[in-house]
Amino acid sequence: MFKVTRIVSCAIAMIVLTAAATHAQRPAAAIAPPLPGMSGMWLVQDPGSGSWAAWFNNVPKPAVRPEIARDNEETEKREAAGNVVNTMARRPDCPVGNLPMMMASSPPLNIVVARDEVLIAAESGRGRFIYTDGRQHPDTKAPSYVPSGFGHSIGRWEGDTLVVDTIGFPARVCDSRRPVMLVPGGGRAKDTSHLVERFRLADPETLSVTFTWEDPTVYVKPHTYGYTYKRIPEGLPIENNEQAPAPAANQTGAK
Amino acid sequence: MRCALAVLLAVCTVTLAAQRPAESAQRPDFSGYWELRLDSFRVPRAALTPQSTAAAESQAKKDAEALSRCALIGMPAVMDDRSALDVRHAPTVIGMVAKSPSSARYIYIDGRSHPAADELEPTTNGHSIGRWDGDTLVVDTVGFNDRGVTRIPGGGHRTPASHLVERYRLHEDGQRLSVVFTWEDPSVFQRPHSYEFRYYKVSEISEPRVINCVPNAERTRFLSGVPQ
Repeated sequence: MFKVTRIVSCAIAMIVLTAAATHAQRPAAAIAPPLPGMSGMWLVQDPGSGSWAAWFNNVPKPAVRPEIARDNEETEKREAAGNVVNTMARRPDCPVGNLPMMMASSPPLNIVVARDEVLIAAESGRGRFIYTDGRQHPDTKAPSYVPSGFGHSIGRWEGDTLVVDTIGFPARVCDSRRPVMLVPGGGRAKDTSHLVERFRLADPETLSVTFTWEDPTVYVKPHTYGYTYKRIPEGLPIENNEQAPAPAANQTGAK
Repeated sequence: MRCALAVLLAVCTVTLAAQRPAESAQRPDFSGYWELRLDSFRVPRAALTPQSTAAAESQAKKDAEALSRCALIGMPAVMDDRSALDVRHAPTVIGMVAKSPSSARYIYIDGRSHPAADELEPTTNGHSIGRWDGDTLVVDTVGFNDRGVTRIPGGGHRTPASHLVERYRLHEDGQRLSVVFTWEDPSVFQRPHSYEFRYYKVSEISEPRVINCVPNAERTRFLSGVPQ
């Protein structure tokens, strides 16, 4: 009996000391274990639809509420009639960014997957901040919350998949043509919308992202579609480094 | 007896592991929100060339106009943002995002070199690559343009010929980040110009994360003195 107790005590001591040794090897601020290699520049794969509008809507059609379907038809008519210029002035309270547009657009995504936070932006711009430190969403209905077109995103890892949950989009944006942000296929992204994305490397050079939108004021059922992105090795992000236009020539949008 | 020897061996392992420098195990991670405080700046006067001294006033006016027009500020102004700098450190790249109008800054730490000059489109932040010197990250940047806010702390300004070397090192158990900047540019400095910024780690960053800057005619006139 004494021998068994001694063996167990020795084993416990070894386990504790081994754990301590492992901990001691880790600096106070060290890079987390190797993350899936999503960091880098990624180019969305256009299946050859020919035009931006055709590409943007080249996803499964969502089941939308009747008023959204009517609004889509009216928007199409206005744009077919040549109403394609945004005439709204750029104001300080205009929301910055547009998540569904950025994730679907040809400027490559620049992704940095770090401990506690993931950065995603187009080219050298600034874009999304995805918090992976365990925090929750803020109260996006509170007056103090300033909505951006990127919403508020929190993420978690499910194995090798980054699952990102986003809410807090603006109710309206500064665009006379489409005052509510569009979602590919004919949906909307607004203050009542909820997006879940799943980022996963299909292989080291191929990133797959699926998007699922829910919003009872827009969709009859969740709207899901996906994009594939290819890695651009050692890509050089382009900077839109034209000096901002003179105040007399204000434009919509933000850096 | 055997158990005692095994425990002794484990104790030695713990001791050696604790004494091992960070660089031989894992590199420091600079991720975090880093802010500058009143005591952050160790900036001597730069030894400027006569042509740079003569250009100081017009350069200041150009910077003010860039600010008033919400142009991308670029280096080194992004490192001197009045809000905390968001630094995100991945195994192959470090991303930095400032609140003021600016491009995100990327420091490639995957062993790549600078692109050939004819492949490199100059930007306000330049092209940055990093290598480790022990627990210090040494960042080499070239490929600047002359747009945005070009003022360099201590005197002088960024030009397309500028070359910047930065040395990043953590102190105080990772709560303070020292960055020593050294600029070289024969048209601006008589000799390399070095200064240090000390950043302090903060747990939160203010929202919104970026400024929606809108050019304003009155602001432009006030800051630049340039009639519109």
